[in-house]
Amino acid sequence: MNQLIFIAKKEIKVAIRERLVISLGAIIILLLGVALYAGYISYRQQQQIITQTQIEKRQEWLNQGDKHPHIAAHYGTFVFKPKTILSLFDFGLDAYTGTSVYLEAHHQHEFMFRPAQDHSSMIRFGELSAALVLQVLVPLLIIFLAFASFTRERESGTLKLLMSQGTSFNTLTWGKILAYAVMLAVILLPFLLGLVLLSVSHMSYDVIPDITVRVAMLVLIYGLYLCFFIAFSVWVSLRSGSGRNALLTLLTCWIFFAILLPKTVANLSESFYSLPSMREFKAQIDETKRNGLDGKTPRSVRMANLKKEYLEKYGVDSVQQLPFNFEGVSMQAGEEFGDQVYDYHLNNLREIFHKQNQLGSIASLFNPYLAVQHLSMALSGTDIHTFIHFEEEVERYRRELVRKMNQDMAENSKYGEFYGYKAGSDLWGEIEDFSYRAPTAWQLLSYYKLELISLMLWMALTMVLLHVANRKMKPIHE
Amino acid sequence: MLQATELTKKYGKFTALNALNLSVKKGDIFCLLGANGAGKSTTINLFLNFIEPTGGKATINALDVTQHGKATKKLLSYIPENLMLYPNLTGLENLDFFCGLGGKSYSKDHLEELLKQSGLQTNFLHKRVSNYSKGMRQKVGIALARAREASVLLLDEPTSGLDPKASNEFSELLLDMKDKGVATLMATHDLFRAKDTGTHIGIMKEGILIEQFASDDVSFQDLEKLYLKHMHN
Repeated sequence: MNQLIFIAKKEIKVAIRERLVISLGAIIILLLGVALYAGYISYRQQQQIITQTQIEKRQEWLNQGDKHPHIAAHYGTFVFKPKTILSLFDFGLDAYTGTSVYLEAHHQHEFMFRPAQDHSSMIRFGELSAALVLQVLVPLLIIFLAFASFTRERESGTLKLLMSQGTSFNTLTWGKILAYAVMLAVILLPFLLGLVLLSVSHMSYDVIPDITVRVAMLVLIYGLYLCFFIAFSVWVSLRSGSGRNALLTLLTCWIFFAILLPKTVANLSESFYSLPSMREFKAQIDETKRNGLDGKTPRSVRMANLKKEYLEKYGVDSVQQLPFNFEGVSMQAGEEFGDQVYDYHLNNLREIFHKQNQLGSIASLFNPYLAVQHLSMALSGTDIHTFIHFEEEVERYRRELVRKMNQDMAENSKYGEFYGYKAGSDLWGEIEDFSYRAPTAWQLLSYYKLELISLMLWMALTMVLLHVANRKMKPIHE
Repeated sequence: MLQATELTKKYGKFTALNALNLSVKKGDIFCLLGANGAGKSTTINLFLNFIEPTGGKATINALDVTQHGKATKKLLSYIPENLMLYPNLTGLENLDFFCGLGGKSYSKDHLEELLKQSGLQTNFLHKRVSNYSKGMRQKVGIALARAREASVLLLDEPTSGLDPKASNEFSELLLDMKDKGVATLMATHDLFRAKDTGTHIGIMKEGILIEQFASDDVSFQDLEKLYLKHMHN
């Protein structure tokens, strides 16, 4: 143990004196600081806008005046995806999924305000977030720190002197890994403190009640990922004949892991499982609404069947004789049919999403970068599953709003009266304001089992490689 | 202290060391002479357990170096032809680090004293090793051997490339250690230094120890003649 500490201390001292770690560390601290600060500012601005607009929209809903409930259902309202403090760490899919949606009867509108729509593809790729720095740039720092960890000892001749002191390769390897881990921890400490402070500041607790657990898990997962990179870089250095070879090998791996493979997987999943365009998706919904789910029951037939069913059920000859306004019932039936059609097509769409994600998850078994990227988005609440959960909550809210409007119309208005009937603020007040609570970290992680396995497998594989290399290695190549 | 018994090292069909038998006792300085590729460095590397023997065995204090690598390394100190230290650390810091690795912990004053005793100039103690000459680095190596209280010293052409003054200082330090009972095995090309410093001399050629004798038994001229005779045959 003493030897390990001695080696780690020496490595740190030498690295500090060489200044490389200081320069690269300063760049990383700066980038993380900028990412965190810019993210925080953006979070505050967006949160402020969202809160203010949500209040305005709520007031508009409550103060819309007396009107027919169905008109109110079309008047609709806006709901907003709350910006959480963790989304400033990892933007994830937020730029693509949008932040607000207009809720209206008969229609499931698409989400609006997607920053990705306003940016060029280059900006989308390189948008600076703390997660991007940790996933892509910090491994690069590790590579530059550790590529020569063994090759330099070998090339300069200090390895023989080290070995003649009775030091084992195992001790030397772990001493170096410990040193790089400590240096990295020091570099990342200010950012980590900032993140912890923000996460315990009670911001976003209403949306993500388990924010502390999520931050702890993010630290753990990124810790594992970066430790993997350290151990892997040291292993490559241990096995390489020269520093140049080690650096080339590591940079090739980095390009493959962080750039080529993720792009390839994204393109492949898009080719294998193509998504329809929004226009196609809407056209499919309209077509099914027109002709029914079986393709041969148009709206007129469905309405006639509904009317017949109610007349028989209540034993009356006309809808005017029903004890409620049949228009309300037919409105709700139309709404429910529309929901059914929407669910049918949305499920098909989600099936494609699911297949694409599955491919990404399988690919993450071969790429720790993909694994950490998926897990990071999930824990930050910016992944596809959180978005789907939010989308479902919004749709549930929309349906409940429309149902209440139609129910009020059925119960309180007369057949044929239609626009003559007006509801007031009492009814509007019955619709509670929309509030969202994200699924727990554990629920989300259940979608990412392969990613968790991937990280552990890569770490275990590197440990085995190091163990084997340490056992076989000699200070002199025979 | 040091014993090689039928020690052999082969690389495929090439025999780098062929059935070497030699013994270095406490207070002996055994100098191995020979041309490049004679097997001198291979012998040193086998005692250091840096390479595996193909046959025979090397022991330090009766311990087989392949089976007791850690224990035997605690007994020895090694100075290669060009002792490489960490250039961004001072001589003192290098010494402190390598002592620590060997499980020895000394005060700063004591380490400074060791470096001074080994001939390192005081104004260089706290300078980075990148400013050191080869001779200065070899002196740090001697200080390390002293600090480690090594009973065995393995030297692989330690004076090669040193100026005569530095070389002479190095020899004096070796003699000082010899007086303290350290057993030294030194591979060298320097006949004069071998005769002057060594207690025993061995001549190696093509992996074979073809001759060994006490240095007092031959004059420098005889040693030179003997060496050249073997090299030309």
